[in-house]
Amino acid sequence: MSEPVVTLKSFFEQAREGRLTGIKCGGCGEIAIPPKQFCANCGARAWQSVPLSGEGTLASYTIIRVAPAGHAADAPYAVGVVKLKEGAAIFGRIVDVPFEKLAVGLALRFRPIVVKEQTSVGFAP
Amino acid sequence: MRRVAVIGVGVTKFGKHDRTSGELFAEAAVDALADAELPPGAVQALYYGNVVGGETEHQLHTGPQAASILGIPTVPTTRFETACASSHAAFRHAVMEIAAGVSDVVLVGGGERVLNVPTAESTEYFAYASDASWEQPLGLTFPGVFALVARAHMAKYGTTEEQMAAVAVKNHKHGTMNPKAQFQKEITLETVMKSPYVADPLKLYDCCPFTDGGAAIVLASEDVARPRRRAVWVLGTAAASDSMLLGDKKDLSRVMATERAAKAAYQQAGKSPSDVNVVELHDCFTIAEIVATEGLGLFEPGAGGIAAERGDTSLGGKVPVNPSGGLKSKGHPIGATGAAQIAEIVTQLRGEAGPRQVDGARTGLTHTLGGNTATVLVSLFGRE
Repeated sequence: MSEPVVTLKSFFEQAREGRLTGIKCGGCGEIAIPPKQFCANCGARAWQSVPLSGEGTLASYTIIRVAPAGHAADAPYAVGVVKLKEGAAIFGRIVDVPFEKLAVGLALRFRPIVVKEQTSVGFAP
Repeated sequence: MRRVAVIGVGVTKFGKHDRTSGELFAEAAVDALADAELPPGAVQALYYGNVVGGETEHQLHTGPQAASILGIPTVPTTRFETACASSHAAFRHAVMEIAAGVSDVVLVGGGERVLNVPTAESTEYFAYASDASWEQPLGLTFPGVFALVARAHMAKYGTTEEQMAAVAVKNHKHGTMNPKAQFQKEITLETVMKSPYVADPLKLYDCCPFTDGGAAIVLASEDVARPRRRAVWVLGTAAASDSMLLGDKKDLSRVMATERAAKAAYQQAGKSPSDVNVVELHDCFTIAEIVATEGLGLFEPGAGGIAAERGDTSLGGKVPVNPSGGLKSKGHPIGATGAAQIAEIVTQLRGEAGPRQVDGARTGLTHTLGGNTATVLVSLFGRE
């Protein structure tokens, strides 16, 4: 059986409920964002699903002012990469932070962004 | 493995065109074949780069379409898609076909048409090269990707917006010497600094334009190339990839795929960064040029911005970068860019670049980056 322990579908179903799910390598302990088959760090295929706290710090960010056609109504909006305290990093929309308060190192917490059927990763203070 | 040379190059004017990507490639290919002094019947295969044909032209299967317009409908064709690095990826595979002894003459090139759709639409299509589950639904754009790189580079090394602006000013100046460039106009530091933010800290003048255009190069085996005085030899060509998701990249201030591809290409060529006299690299955004000059080993990590500001990468400087004007000023027809960069380096190494000639250039390098930094190709070229 080669279905990963966490699929995109199951990840976003959990995320919609406010739970961030990662995978932990049984070979080297690496925490990764699913789905993955082999561990890029050690080559093992021994993932276990692990709950992630959703807490982390902002590694980099930008304010998108010229948006793709499908997001033009939202612009300007902030996005960034958040380094989670468990180790993995994840890209998300940053909400409820005034643009001038954005800074590398800012503490943020996961918050799902649900628009119709689409769930995405968001972060808020 | 057999040695491989470039024996012909052709590039269309870059900018807005009323012709399809296939037509634009074919125009460049006619020039490349004339430059190689070969008839179309000599071509044994076509390796072709095209990225958003499916979106902007409702056209897939662009390889045989391009070959048919050129008038060589029966040769084997393959279309490569590695986002903005597509025709450089096509080039690497074509080199391997000749090196392996399968063919003696292979045509490589690309074509792209995007200015027939509005900017918001092309911005969306380009974003298809980021992840559709994690990144696209959040409205990530390509300026957005490199804004994240810029912010990380600024936080780590103290790189400034003025240093990034210096790259734009330099490449626009180089572009005034290239009649094929989309923009042939000098700009000032103030113009860049006062332009509106697209994705902070990147401003409009930190970004390359959307461009229509085509490019083609003729590759040949040593037996075909040796009698040709203007042949330029492929010394090495390497590809590297990196994690697709932005969060999975180990360090946003670096492009690891550039570092890996450069190491492999230098090793194949038996060269080091100090041997390189002229560089065409992927300046889709000004920060991309700064990070690439570091990843290619031309400057220490963190020193790329300072070097650009000091003029080290200008024509007449320590190692001229993007004498063609680069993607910033020459333009960036994404499927054709890799081939167009190679065409410029071949022109430089032949000593035929006119007012933008790097004096005495013997060894040149091309670097092309795909999409969200997950694909990079690096190739080295030299004269006998």
